[in-house]
Amino acid sequence: MEEAKCSRVKVESILSVVSGKPTEPGKVHKLSMLDRAMGSHTIHIVFYYASNPFLDGPMPSDLGNLRITLSELLDEYPYVTGRLTCEPDNGEWLIKFNDAGVRMLQATVDATIDEWLGSADGVEERDLTAWEEMPNDPSFWSPFRVQINKFKCGGLALGLSCTHMHTDLTSATMLFKAWSEVHRRQPPTHPPIFDLPPPPTPTPPPPTPSPLPTTPTKMATATLKFSPAAVDKCLSQAPADATPFDALAALFWRRVAAQAPTKRSLSICVDSRDPSQHAPAVPYAYFGNALKFSTLTDDLLSGGLGQVAGHIHRHVAGMKKEEFSSEINATGGMYGGAALTCFNAEHMAEAESGRGIMYDAEFKKGERPVHVSYSVGNVGREGLIMVMPAAEGGRGRTVTATLPEEQVAELCRDQVILDFEPTMILCGRRS
Amino acid sequence: MQDILLKYMKLGYQYLVNHILAFLLIPTAIAVAVEILRSSPARWNSFAIDPIHLIFCSFLAVFIATVYFMSKPRSIYLVDYACYKPPVTCRVPFSTFMEHSRLILKDNPKSVDFQMRILERSGLGEETCLPPAIHYIPPTPTMDAARGEAETVIFSSIDSLMKSTGLKPKQIDILVVNCSLFSPTPSLSAMIVNKYKLRSNIKSYNLSGMGCSAGLISIDLARDLLQIHPNSNALVISTEIITPNYYKGSERAMLLPNCLFRMGGAAILLSNKRRDRSRAKYKLVHVVRTHKGADDKAYKCVYEQEDPQGKVGINLSKDLMVIAGEALKSNITTIGPLVLPASEQLLFLFTLIGRKIFNPKWKPYIPDFKQAFEHFCIHAGGRAVIDELQKNLQLSAEHVEASRMTLHRFGNTSSSSLWYELGYIEAKGRMKKGDRVWQIAFGSGFKCNSAVWKCNRTIKTTSDGPWQDCINTYPVHIPEIVKI
Repeated sequence: MEEAKCSRVKVESILSVVSGKPTEPGKVHKLSMLDRAMGSHTIHIVFYYASNPFLDGPMPSDLGNLRITLSELLDEYPYVTGRLTCEPDNGEWLIKFNDAGVRMLQATVDATIDEWLGSADGVEERDLTAWEEMPNDPSFWSPFRVQINKFKCGGLALGLSCTHMHTDLTSATMLFKAWSEVHRRQPPTHPPIFDLPPPPTPTPPPPTPSPLPTTPTKMATATLKFSPAAVDKCLSQAPADATPFDALAALFWRRVAAQAPTKRSLSICVDSRDPSQHAPAVPYAYFGNALKFSTLTDDLLSGGLGQVAGHIHRHVAGMKKEEFSSEINATGGMYGGAALTCFNAEHMAEAESGRGIMYDAEFKKGERPVHVSYSVGNVGREGLIMVMPAAEGGRGRTVTATLPEEQVAELCRDQVILDFEPTMILCGRRS
Repeated sequence: MQDILLKYMKLGYQYLVNHILAFLLIPTAIAVAVEILRSSPARWNSFAIDPIHLIFCSFLAVFIATVYFMSKPRSIYLVDYACYKPPVTCRVPFSTFMEHSRLILKDNPKSVDFQMRILERSGLGEETCLPPAIHYIPPTPTMDAARGEAETVIFSSIDSLMKSTGLKPKQIDILVVNCSLFSPTPSLSAMIVNKYKLRSNIKSYNLSGMGCSAGLISIDLARDLLQIHPNSNALVISTEIITPNYYKGSERAMLLPNCLFRMGGAAILLSNKRRDRSRAKYKLVHVVRTHKGADDKAYKCVYEQEDPQGKVGINLSKDLMVIAGEALKSNITTIGPLVLPASEQLLFLFTLIGRKIFNPKWKPYIPDFKQAFEHFCIHAGGRAVIDELQKNLQLSAEHVEASRMTLHRFGNTSSSSLWYELGYIEAKGRMKKGDRVWQIAFGSGFKCNSAVWKCNRTIKTTSDGPWQDCINTYPVHIPEIVKI
């Protein structure tokens, strides 16, 4: 690659931020089977803001102001400031609520936000949420890292990275949103819940053999923004009750399958917190992993866009009604391990406006993030497609595709997709 | 039965000796009065008083009274004081401290274990604070950061003090600042003069290098200056700036200060003005300073030096507690006669004579200082210091509660810890008019300094001060070893 190997992101300093109030000593939280199954993945979310909201405040430095409200937030999240430990006798993973805090990194970026969104790719974006692999002894390793990245234009990117063992994309987004509420001195909309009542009947996970890749595949990420009009055009080919997720998942499945005919099945990932359900299985404010995975087989996936969208829609409805048992692979690799995984984030769209709740994370009143990037680490070679709600609301969607490098390149050149006129950002080249 | 009898005998003895003058004078006065009344009026006329004698006698009386009042040392009052409360973002829980320690000293696991053992037994709590520069991995102790810490701590304390006393910057006549390990140019006292625009004829002093007992040295200096300058006030600032002194090496004897020293500072307003007499909190009764530096072991027991890798830190010798004990004994020997009631002093004298003349095996009598003071503020240098003093002076748990709780909540804040302890006693509502307080501080040198204050007015618990948000949760039980 002729691009410069040195990244434009430079980490200046690392420190720890702790909560303001000490936690009662001795408390622990046991991680569930789902938590452990998700453990091989990591979550990286980046919130881009046009201006630095932390420059106003009682402290002379932005870091000082940031620390005040982050500390206040952490008072409510002892889960986030605790440390992982593994019980030697039964191999159970626990989080000890020991107040150790989160790691905070300060970095500068040698670009403006617009330049960055136009020219950076998934790999470089990972630098905005610098990650350290978990060591053998995780007792002094911070599972949550917050990174504050300052752009040349005065813009700011707040990066959050954490293990997928502790939380999923929804609750990580809620954490950030809660922080913005604390910063604006607003009461929290969703005070976190950390413990769920145990499930009525324990569901034994069906053994799902995951073929381990012999050589690690180089993955790449591309983000495509579909306007509401484009999504409507896609939906016009699908049955009437299909959601944007159904249509876009079907579209991407067909284009990826067209390039890689060996793909035989599609795994759908749905969040159990869906507020549109009459009685959601898991409360919206639950902080942790609340995902359901289920696979659609080949026979349902052949056919035109409309047919596939219809099958996906029915399958998602079935998952919500608990018609399919959740497939948990105890050895991990839930995303992209056995099949191309599509992540359904329809529950993260606000009911009225359709705008993603992540775009409500305003640190300064009236200043929404210009973009929110989601990415998952250690995705299996089959790939992951995330369909997230967009900033402008309505039926617009932002699709983030993590696939082997060549497949991503092909996807970005695919004429069927380009017909929908997506705006491509963070693809490593000018859109 | 025996015990009760002994107790009453002791009480009787104390009452008799402490009020011996009353016991002698009252019968004498009564006897004289009776004699005068009994004697015939005729004898009264023989006491013809010469007018010249009368004028001369009254002149003499006035003269003696004037000389007495002029040569009496001025009363020094402590109008008020303010302690710095660090922000919660500077909090350092044990787990964070150990985590940082492990990341920074990853090649020295033995040193990390040592720090953990120290922290577990230190008596510190989870709310002590370190300055922002020390929160970085690795710490970034730049000169700017040190100045930043100094400004935050000192200016906050002074602002609080000005708010509670109504003091205006131009009214400050004397300024004494003590900060042992950070001494920039221009000095911290110049920094204060600059920030608050103090008068150009201010008498400012900056004491550095004098250790944890420097707070009382500053009070002593301010007192001496207030003797010379009538109708003046003095602002005393006691603090220790942690930022530049974080030891970056791995020598165990030098890692101890990292575990114990925390952010803190105090601003104290002293005055000899008549009008401050009624509103002042305390009156300064005695300051006793003892310096054991003439002894080589005492001199070297707290020693700043470079370790084999060239990193600078403070080396604490293993004999620290023994030397502290000796210094305390010296100090007590001087202060005892000044504060102890006559009964205790007599007992001490008898035992001393007895040991010298009759039998050297008699146990030395340790005077009961609880009779001289209602409150004790022992420098929160570490758990061992407080334990040692509690044992030596035979103090109860309540007497040392202020010191232990200050160590738990604020850590070892060096020279300002005495003021946090005093603040604790006041916040608990235990300070009544007439109560006597003994502040004892130890420091490098080796020095032991004491100050004795008398409470001027009963102090109501207020809603400000560093203890305001947590006083109701104290006292807490501090276990011998805290499991991290």
